[in-house]
Amino acid sequence: MAPKGSKAPKARPKPPDPPKEYPTIADELLAAYQESRPYQTLAASKGIQNLTANEKACYAHAVFLETGAWRSWPAATQNEFWKTIQSEKIPIPLPKPQDLGRDTRGIEVGKYTPAEFKLYLRREREIEGLLGKTMGYLRAIMAAKEHSPRVLELTEHIISMNAAHYTVWLYRSQTLLALNSSIPAELEWVNNVALDNQKNYQIWHHRQILVEHLVQDVGSDEGKLRELGKSEVAFMKEMFDEDAKNYHVWSYRQWLVRKLDLWQKGEIEDCERLLREDVRNNSAWAHRFFVVFSNPRYCTEGSKATEFDGGIPDEILDREIEFSKAACFEAPQNQSPWNYLRGVLKKGGRKLVSLECFAGEFVKIPEKEGEGEEDVKSSHALDFLADAWAEKGEREKADRALRLLGDKYDRIRKNYWDWRRALLKSDGGGLGGIEGQFVVGAKLFGH
Amino acid sequence: MALVSGPGRAGSSVLPDELQLAIQAHVKYIQSLDTRRDELEYWLTEHLRLNGLYWGLTALHLLNRPSALPRQETIDFVLSCQAENGGFGAAPGHDAHLLSTVSGVQILGMVDGFEELEKRGKVVKVGGGEYRGKEAVGRYLAGLQNRETGTFTGDEWGEEDTRFLYAGLNALSLLGLLELVDVDLAVDYIVSCANFDGGYGVSPGAESHSGQIFACLAALSIAGRIDTVDKDKLGQWLSERQVDAGGLNGRPEKMEDVCYSWWVASSLTMIGRLHWIDGAKLSAFILKCQDPEGGGFADRPGDMVDVFHTCFGIAGLSLLDFEGLEEVDAVYCMPKKVLERILGPRYGEND
Ligand SMILES: [Zn+2]
Repeated sequence: MAPKGSKAPKARPKPPDPPKEYPTIADELLAAYQESRPYQTLAASKGIQNLTANEKACYAHAVFLETGAWRSWPAATQNEFWKTIQSEKIPIPLPKPQDLGRDTRGIEVGKYTPAEFKLYLRREREIEGLLGKTMGYLRAIMAAKEHSPRVLELTEHIISMNAAHYTVWLYRSQTLLALNSSIPAELEWVNNVALDNQKNYQIWHHRQILVEHLVQDVGSDEGKLRELGKSEVAFMKEMFDEDAKNYHVWSYRQWLVRKLDLWQKGEIEDCERLLREDVRNNSAWAHRFFVVFSNPRYCTEGSKATEFDGGIPDEILDREIEFSKAACFEAPQNQSPWNYLRGVLKKGGRKLVSLECFAGEFVKIPEKEGEGEEDVKSSHALDFLADAWAEKGEREKADRALRLLGDKYDRIRKNYWDWRRALLKSDGGGLGGIEGQFVVGAKLFGH
Repeated sequence: MALVSGPGRAGSSVLPDELQLAIQAHVKYIQSLDTRRDELEYWLTEHLRLNGLYWGLTALHLLNRPSALPRQETIDFVLSCQAENGGFGAAPGHDAHLLSTVSGVQILGMVDGFEELEKRGKVVKVGGGEYRGKEAVGRYLAGLQNRETGTFTGDEWGEEDTRFLYAGLNALSLLGLLELVDVDLAVDYIVSCANFDGGYGVSPGAESHSGQIFACLAALSIAGRIDTVDKDKLGQWLSERQVDAGGLNGRPEKMEDVCYSWWVASSLTMIGRLHWIDGAKLSAFILKCQDPEGGGFADRPGDMVDVFHTCFGIAGLSLLDFEGLEEVDAVYCMPKKVLERILGPRYGEND
């Protein structure tokens, strides 16, 4: 650091302001960093060519210092260098502040205030000791196979510090069931843990175990099952308010729909609500497909998501087509509804050509090449049309669409579109025609 | 730029700075990981210790520095994680878990340590039989398969996930013990997870997700049943994961990420369609995620590095034939050379 009390040389940049309050620790560290390298800051603001001769010399020395270049010099030169540094009162530069990462709740530590950061450091050290100690304690209890209320306290404590320990969850659920503890009370607690730990998946499996037991307890009491479904869905809504694409919540929801027979109890309406908020939420689209095309009321048992199902009523197919069409109009370049549309057509055994007019709304291509510009509002529509035209045998039109995609509207995947064009020539079909020419042999060992 | 389009070979030393791989820094970073015992992060990730070692070691092997971690210590540590039931826990004294067991097996495979497992591994007694070495581990893994659905659970807890199924087949095939499980049933389950958009989810009906797709394709590859996949439809969905910045995302409308870049690119490799994405743009994105001074890769440029993304960043570059890297296998995320040693020279020859 620069020696205190000595008179600053003339060329020295303006001294830093008296101790300042910074809004975040990252700002504070950055400021300290900048203050420790005044000449670099000065050069950056004024431009090196505008520095005075004295400033230039100081700047050069500061850079030698910061980059460590001086270390490679002979000892005598190093000595000389340090004397100069002293006389020029160049401060020792601090290392560039590193990203402080996120805390266990996912909050950026750099955004803490300096005071909060101090507390955080202290807490971090405390937790470190505590976590080791409590885990050791729990291991002893587990070895003794003790299932007592204090296990619940202890595991709650550990989970509050680190929710990712699967062993802790496992032992907690075993203990809960052994003690016949109140499952609704546990669910209540789990709700809060889940809201604080969006990325944790152990919680959702724990929840599944709890609900499984509740369903057993409730038996065939329709009213109670309905209540359970309602409260679970209400909690998931809270989770979706935080992140409407949380994968763990969605897979739990699919499990719950099957478990509680929720097929016709507001699932489609919920998907619609989420899609009104964000029409690009692919998770909501996927859930809608699941609910509509796996509903045991009309779907053929065992029909795969990728195949035709003769059991789907026409009015359901029509409704789904209309719904996705509206979403395509809302955001033409959103791939989810276009994928969905293809999925619906497949399920209903309908041809892509049946929606040629609709897809044509997004694409205007002049009849002959060279007759003016085309107008493409959605590359997905163009892709859809290419397949529809191939279906009709209009190979040339299809080829032109694919060429436009590769050359203009989706250049990053040019190789893909070229392959589609080759495919078109080889059999005239659209996707799903011949087996690719690039088949990778099955990995063989004993098979 | 010296990179060619598609899964091309990265150019030589004439690469501009931002396209250089900071090999030395990455090696140092990985070596330093186990010395950070005074940091909270070290303890918070204790449940990932063995996975972490696998990620670090794989990265080192791909960087052509297989001995940067001492072999004997590595073997000793892995063996010290073995639980009484034959499986491996995340750290000494932890309960066995499928995911740490597969890491344990992969690590032993990489350092050629199966012989030591035979000699020093736990002896497990079940149903009147006494098993040791590879077979003890294999029995533990086989016990996790649900014989009605074909799936695997991660532990006695019973959670099921296509990732577990892949992990089970991965480890069992490395041990040469696939015959202990019902592979056909497992294949049927994966086939039932195929979605209308060509992808695969965590369970039948669940949204397509790049990580799950990787697990499903890799499991099918190990089972020799990649023929069940609609490669064109899936290839299209996977190639749509590439965003303008060059990286790949896990689901539509999500942010690109180095680890998803690996899962998508390796999936495309398994179905022979890696050339459908722009390989040069992808490797440029991955390289931007490295910390050239401190070493390591982050999920996205400017974020904090970690060993998980370091492994998948380097593996992704290797998949794209980046110069100077050892060739990675898309199915196991291990060096091809190692797999040829374990599974025989014919492994992967049909690629
Ligand atoms: Zn990631």
